[in-house]
Amino acid sequence: MESFVQAVEGSALNQWVIGSAWTWPIMETLHFIGLSLLLGALLIIDLRMAGFFRRINIVATHKLLPWVFAGFGINLITGFLFVMGDPARYTANVGFRWKMVLLLVAGANALWFWFRINPLVKSWEPHGDTPLEAKTIAIVSLAVWFGVLLLGRLIPYVGTG
Amino acid sequence: MFETLENSAMAIWVGESLWGYPIMLSLHVVGLAVVVGIFVMRDLRLLGFFQGISFESLNSLRNLGWSGFVLNAISGVFLFSSQATVFIESTPFLSKISMIFLAAICAAIIQNKLRDEAVQWDESGRAVGSVRMLARLSILLWMGAIISGRLIAYL
Repeated sequence: MESFVQAVEGSALNQWVIGSAWTWPIMETLHFIGLSLLLGALLIIDLRMAGFFRRINIVATHKLLPWVFAGFGINLITGFLFVMGDPARYTANVGFRWKMVLLLVAGANALWFWFRINPLVKSWEPHGDTPLEAKTIAIVSLAVWFGVLLLGRLIPYVGTG
Repeated sequence: MFETLENSAMAIWVGESLWGYPIMLSLHVVGLAVVVGIFVMRDLRLLGFFQGISFESLNSLRNLGWSGFVLNAISGVFLFSSQATVFIESTPFLSKISMIFLAAICAAIIQNKLRDEAVQWDESGRAVGSVRMLARLSILLWMGAIISGRLIAYL
């Protein structure tokens, strides 16, 4: 980790992120917009997949997925730039580390959805109930993403121990 | 008045306890994701995205969207109380509150229109022009609220 921090500090990207007073607040704002898109689209997909909001056609909810990816993409880029800007603080931060662990869980859960559930959704009753496996994935997804949100917001407040 | 609020037990808990401020900030970001996320997705549907999700079914998201709004009104009052005299003179704060107020009015008008006219829009395939205009305005107001909210910490 130390060599990573040393390699980043002083690099061109590091200097670009911390070089202007406005880069950081602009990236933070984009990070908030990204999380609203990601969570907004995901809430609808996951709550429907968990069996709620049956008036919403579940077969059509996949059209929200590009907005999940767009929000994730914005936050992956801005998040990467935060780490480039202040590598020592992030790598040592407990909140950040757990947030990354939860992101891996979210990724594994998304793969589970992609390979096991997504191919079946087209054949589902548009306003019907969903299988237990789909419900489980949906609940895990929501729990993990709200965990990511909370841990992210706590990064400035939790220690480096 | 704002000085009295700032010296209240609530304000002192938020401002001086170890976890008061971070707990309220965490709730505030959860509420933000719910209210902005749900209302913006609704607006995008009104603008023609996600075809296949009926306009009528958007009515079922109403309470979810407002639950985020209420969570943020409550956590927002806690956060505001801790530095009431500072926030009340902060231009980005005042601009944020104005935009949220207008976005809430947009949401109320849109939901009434959805309740009364969604079935017709599903038949014609698109929402009426005035509602599409409100949806655009709503997205701009929520983005503006996020931008000014972030600027409170910097200006």
